[in-house]
Amino acid sequence: MSIRNLNGRSRAWALIGCLFWFLFTLFPIYWVIITSFKTSLSVVGQARFIPFVDFEPSLLAWQELFGGVRGEFMNTFIASTIVSLSSAVLATAIGAMAAYALVRFPFRVKLAAGLVFFVVALGGYLLGANVFGWSRATAMFAAFGLALLLSLLVNRVRVPGPILGNDDIIFWFVSQRMFPPIVAAFALFLMYSEIGRLGFKMIDTYVGLTLAYIAFSLPIVIWLMRDFFAALPVEVEEAAMVDNVPSWRIFTGIVVPMSTPGLVATFMITLAFVWNEFLFALFLTNARWQTLPILVAGQNSQRGDEWWSISAAALIAIVPMMVMAAILSRLMRSGLLLGAIK
Amino acid sequence: MRNDPIKYFFIWPALLIVLGISIFPLIYSLTTSFMSYRLVPPSPPRFVGLDNYASLLTNPRFWQVTWTTSLIAFVSVAIQYVIGFAVALALHAKVPGERLFRVTFLLPMLIAPVAVALIARQIFNPTVGPLNELMTFFGFPNLPFLTQTYWAIGALITVEVWQWTPFIILMLLAGLATLPDDVYEAAALENASKWQQFWGITFPMMLPISAAVVFIRLIESYKIIDTVFVLTGGGPGISTETLTLFAYQEGFKKFNLGYTSALSFLFLITITVIGVVYLAILKPHLAKHR
Repeated sequence: MSIRNLNGRSRAWALIGCLFWFLFTLFPIYWVIITSFKTSLSVVGQARFIPFVDFEPSLLAWQELFGGVRGEFMNTFIASTIVSLSSAVLATAIGAMAAYALVRFPFRVKLAAGLVFFVVALGGYLLGANVFGWSRATAMFAAFGLALLLSLLVNRVRVPGPILGNDDIIFWFVSQRMFPPIVAAFALFLMYSEIGRLGFKMIDTYVGLTLAYIAFSLPIVIWLMRDFFAALPVEVEEAAMVDNVPSWRIFTGIVVPMSTPGLVATFMITLAFVWNEFLFALFLTNARWQTLPILVAGQNSQRGDEWWSISAAALIAIVPMMVMAAILSRLMRSGLLLGAIK
Repeated sequence: MRNDPIKYFFIWPALLIVLGISIFPLIYSLTTSFMSYRLVPPSPPRFVGLDNYASLLTNPRFWQVTWTTSLIAFVSVAIQYVIGFAVALALHAKVPGERLFRVTFLLPMLIAPVAVALIARQIFNPTVGPLNELMTFFGFPNLPFLTQTYWAIGALITVEVWQWTPFIILMLLAGLATLPDDVYEAAALENASKWQQFWGITFPMMLPISAAVVFIRLIESYKIIDTVFVLTGGGPGISTETLTLFAYQEGFKKFNLGYTSALSFLFLITITVIGVVYLAILKPHLAKHR
């Protein structure tokens, strides 16, 4: 019993509010589940709410679904699982490392170096593609490498102009998230097609889609993990440093276990984002690595108002995330993830 | 702050991926935005300067779409924040059934927006949907939920609130768990009411995480497309069309690449302005409570 718990009337009001929100949250999920057991007879005319009483449930939609009448659900499901699990794991790992570095170590990037990267990348690409007549992909690679090298060099030498600190770098990472994904998705599609002409197939491949999703998730991972790492007591790490424990051991041995709840929450959010993501999958895949949201959205236009089959398809995309949430909340509750913080 | 060369090993993977996969395509599309470049009918890229931007800024459709998107984003995030904070407080104060609520309240966030929109289409169906059944009971049969501008915008906001309030609940719960108990014990000794404790302690201490959460939601709401796409298709007419949907229509229905790139950069400028104003308003408040 904590000091901040409610009592008496306010407790009752809080309960009523929560119950209302509970019904509001659950009703659509209930509705899609029962609709997937309806047939055309039980959809027309009026809304029917209770199975066996209002309508006779039928397995028709599910039989059609697993019978393969509605496209390759199984392959899409597996592709979706592989892509979203690996990109969520990698994005959380890479992003947590960067966030930790940005919280604990000082970084100094000269604004001039950033400008050099931008100008050289832009100018190098335009020069390569239009003046030297290289293929677009070659021009891109050359410009990217050159821009990276030159900006690193500029960062070393003495140049005038403001110097960006850690907060600016974090802001830069997070601001990537602001860019409308539609243009990133299409620009990436064009870039991948150009790379494909050099012989590295990127469109509709595991590598291409996963890389896009990692880049797409990193800003939010860095933002969230920065807050979790900044909240950790620095004394434990300082004690370890006195004992000459190397930095990477401090990270894997002390910081990661202490921030497991934050890591798990971040992983869960990333996984949900990637699993449900629509635009990138639409433009970067076409057959082999197509993900579930694309297939599900297609049901709407293909099947008209056949609500039972649309509901079954939607459920296939919904259920795995619910199962994951159930498992994770169990872990959270069992205290397994509380770690060293308490 | 300590120094150790290992910091480069920590940060380079993230830096390389973001530079290569996010920044570089943007540079490519920035060059496209100054060109007249179509795929259908195919016309080779031709430099036109700021023409794409000028024609967009004089297009009333652009302004209407911006207004619709802002309306949906601001109203839905405001509602999400108020409800989300209330629910997070109730859960943190161990309302009866808190464990069950914790699990269920997070579910909507995990569902694909495409699937949510498909469910919402059934629920908002004006003749055989369950919501129509409820409204008929109250004496308002066959309301035009998806076919009249303000009803349709209301429906979209409801869907957004349903789906994204959980994100705010999750983040604020994590924030509430980090607040120290001793401040509340001191406040209780002073006989501060729960209401005073909220405005004097909880709200100010939660301001940094609140600011972050609202910011994320606002930016994300501006990108709304899948829900609108499936639920109303931008209709009736273009009255619920959002910025991303407009860009989709221009870019992938008409394959007008230069115009679409310019549109997305204008979109980026809009979002940047909103973000900078937002942070400028909040900065004094955040600094006060550090």
